[in-house]
Amino acid sequence: MELNNQRLSEREFEQERRQVLQSWPTGKEVDFSEGVKFQHALPDSKRFSSVLRQADQSGKTLLQPRAGVALLHEQIALLQHLESSCDLLPTTIDAYTRLNRYDEAGSGITKSLQAGSSLLNGFPAVNHGPKGCRQVVNALNKPVQVRHGTPDARLLSEITLAAGYTSYEGGGISYNIPYAKRVRLESSIRHWQYCDRLVGKYEEEGIRINREPFGPLSGTLVPPFVSHCIMLIEGLLALEQGVKCITLGYGQGGNLIQDVAAIKSLRELGDEVFQAAGFNDYELSTVFHQWMGGFPQEESKAYSVICWGATAAAIAGATKIIVKTPHEACGVPTKEANTHGLEATRQTINMVHEQHFPTTEAMEREVEIIKREVRAVLDQVLNLGRGDIALGTVRAFAAGALDIPFAPADCNAGVLMPVRDNDGAIRLLDPGSVPLPDDVLTFHRDKIAERARQEKREASFHMVVDDVNAVSRSTLIGRPQRRNTVSPIHGL
Amino acid sequence: MQQSTSEPTVILGVIGADCHAVGNKIIMSVLSQLSFQVINLGVMVSQDEFIDAAIEHNAEAILVSSIYGHGEIDCAGLRERCMERGLAEIILYVGGNLVIGKRPFAEVQRLFAGMGYDRVFQPGIDLHDVAKLLRMDIHQRRQPQWNQWLVAGHREHGVLDMAARA
Ligand code: B12
Repeated sequence: MELNNQRLSEREFEQERRQVLQSWPTGKEVDFSEGVKFQHALPDSKRFSSVLRQADQSGKTLLQPRAGVALLHEQIALLQHLESSCDLLPTTIDAYTRLNRYDEAGSGITKSLQAGSSLLNGFPAVNHGPKGCRQVVNALNKPVQVRHGTPDARLLSEITLAAGYTSYEGGGISYNIPYAKRVRLESSIRHWQYCDRLVGKYEEEGIRINREPFGPLSGTLVPPFVSHCIMLIEGLLALEQGVKCITLGYGQGGNLIQDVAAIKSLRELGDEVFQAAGFNDYELSTVFHQWMGGFPQEESKAYSVICWGATAAAIAGATKIIVKTPHEACGVPTKEANTHGLEATRQTINMVHEQHFPTTEAMEREVEIIKREVRAVLDQVLNLGRGDIALGTVRAFAAGALDIPFAPADCNAGVLMPVRDNDGAIRLLDPGSVPLPDDVLTFHRDKIAERARQEKREASFHMVVDDVNAVSRSTLIGRPQRRNTVSPIHGL
Repeated sequence: MQQSTSEPTVILGVIGADCHAVGNKIIMSVLSQLSFQVINLGVMVSQDEFIDAAIEHNAEAILVSSIYGHGEIDCAGLRERCMERGLAEIILYVGGNLVIGKRPFAEVQRLFAGMGYDRVFQPGIDLHDVAKLLRMDIHQRRQPQWNQWLVAGHREHGVLDMAARA
């Protein structure tokens, strides 16, 4: 079977579906037509696509936490606790389930029962099955989304969508490269074509399921154009399978101008690229993830990071913001810590969102640079695939034309190396084999040289490591360390 | 397990189904610069893969990371497995976000020391301090007659606290 970007045929899908539903006992309980009936009966207030549409029209930024624990009744209690502080609910899936290790997830459930607390880092939805997941949906008054990191999420999608979840995060690239080690890109993309086709089948039954490619990727110094390329490719792949409601994501970088430019360019590029591919009948929204890299340990400092993300999202006008918690650096948050993150975010968004910030020259330039970078890379991806974006993506990763920093996957080159410039914007120290225009590369080099001069050191991997650690050590830019100094850079 | 090379060989990896790669790449780069031979197995490493690599490379220590919270499940039994496979003496370090949720580190440390890990580290640790401890521990293991005495002494006097400091 050769991968290509074509809608899966009815025969191919149904044949595969039988195998998928046989792959674990709870799969046999999936009843698509019953699921369709249940989805039809949901009120709009519990439907992701409707709530997103309203927010988009009124220029609101919706809040969503992450949350997942091992046991069903605890998952319900957790989400009920969070419900009043947020607009959209999650169910974050545990890491064993993400890798289809349902046996281990099962023993995690058992051990959690014995321990009297959750020993899993998420909700093992496949083990709980369609009935368990249905109980989650029924217990809540807001829309619920599946949030995970699963290269082969076919069974999980069948179970959760039939149970009444109305949004599904992920994609064949964004849920492989940052989340897996040896999964071939061909197979994860193909498996996500299945998930998208399933969403397409619900769409054909009149049920709109929201799809959200995972924007932050490795969460670590990802330049906006890199994640934008992945978002747009996954958007195209989803549209081809019949998906109609797409939320494109971006993880906060920390430089306000770059972050606002990223959200603006993401939405504009979405329309540009999707329409150029012949799609007009879709709904587009954006999601901004509060800082996805290492957090400071102290809760007071974590709140500051959280609110800086909230500020950027509100100024950028993202449709949705994914909220972190004051426990981020330590471990899976308690429901109280999770609520506190939401409340801090709400306060900031409420204070910022009605202010209008005039666009500036620097902002426009940033938007233009991101767009040119994305266009250059996507052109090359299409060339490599001889017009086929799925095939082109696989070849582009093999050639290093698509390259995600700090990702664990074998099929990712890992040569591209980002570093911050003197204003904290993320630039390219080493572009690897990513095909960017010469003047854009010069721009990156100049920006980094400015910082190197300021710090009186060479730009090198040392600088990158300093940047990776910076936020958790209370700065944005990893300035050279001098013991016991807190003063900024002037003295250097 | 006695070696005389000045560059000790250590095995590094992230255990279980854990995909967190950033810390792993940083430990790799720092320890290599500090003259350790680091065999980096990357993320999602099983207990047996750690041990296979330790045997193949005649390593003196295994550095286990667990970031994603399943450490309590994934890390249990590694010491026993090492013993079964003839590596009873190998140094085992473990670090990261070892358990689910925010728990007092002293508790986490007791838990993992009880599993047979020689030292337990929390995320904020300075890797240069880790390198010093590692060199010291390796040095001691290379001198068996001192070994028992020193290890016993250290356990009592709480050198393990150094790892707790961070
Ligand atoms: C970036 C990140 C991600 C990225 C990872 C990208 C990648 N492939 O690497 C993405 C977004 C993909 C991700 C996914 C997930 N993540 Co994550 N992630 C983080 C985050 C924000 C930063 C981690 C990081 O890179 N830090 C920077 C590096 C340099 O630091 P480090 O990893 O801590 O490593 C250093 C030290 O710990 C130490 N160290 C580590 N190991 C060892 C070993 C020894 C022997 C020694 C001496 C030292 C040592 O040295 C390292 C270098 O300085 C942390 C929270 C935080 N720390 O702020 C959560 C966090 C680690 N993630 C978490 C979880 C649960 C997950 C998920 C399971 C999703 C979920 N349920 O929320 C998935 C993982 C799925 C899987 N299969 O593993 C939890 C773990 C919870 C817990 N332990 O209770 C955290 C703590 C967030 C939270 N509070 O919930 N994550």
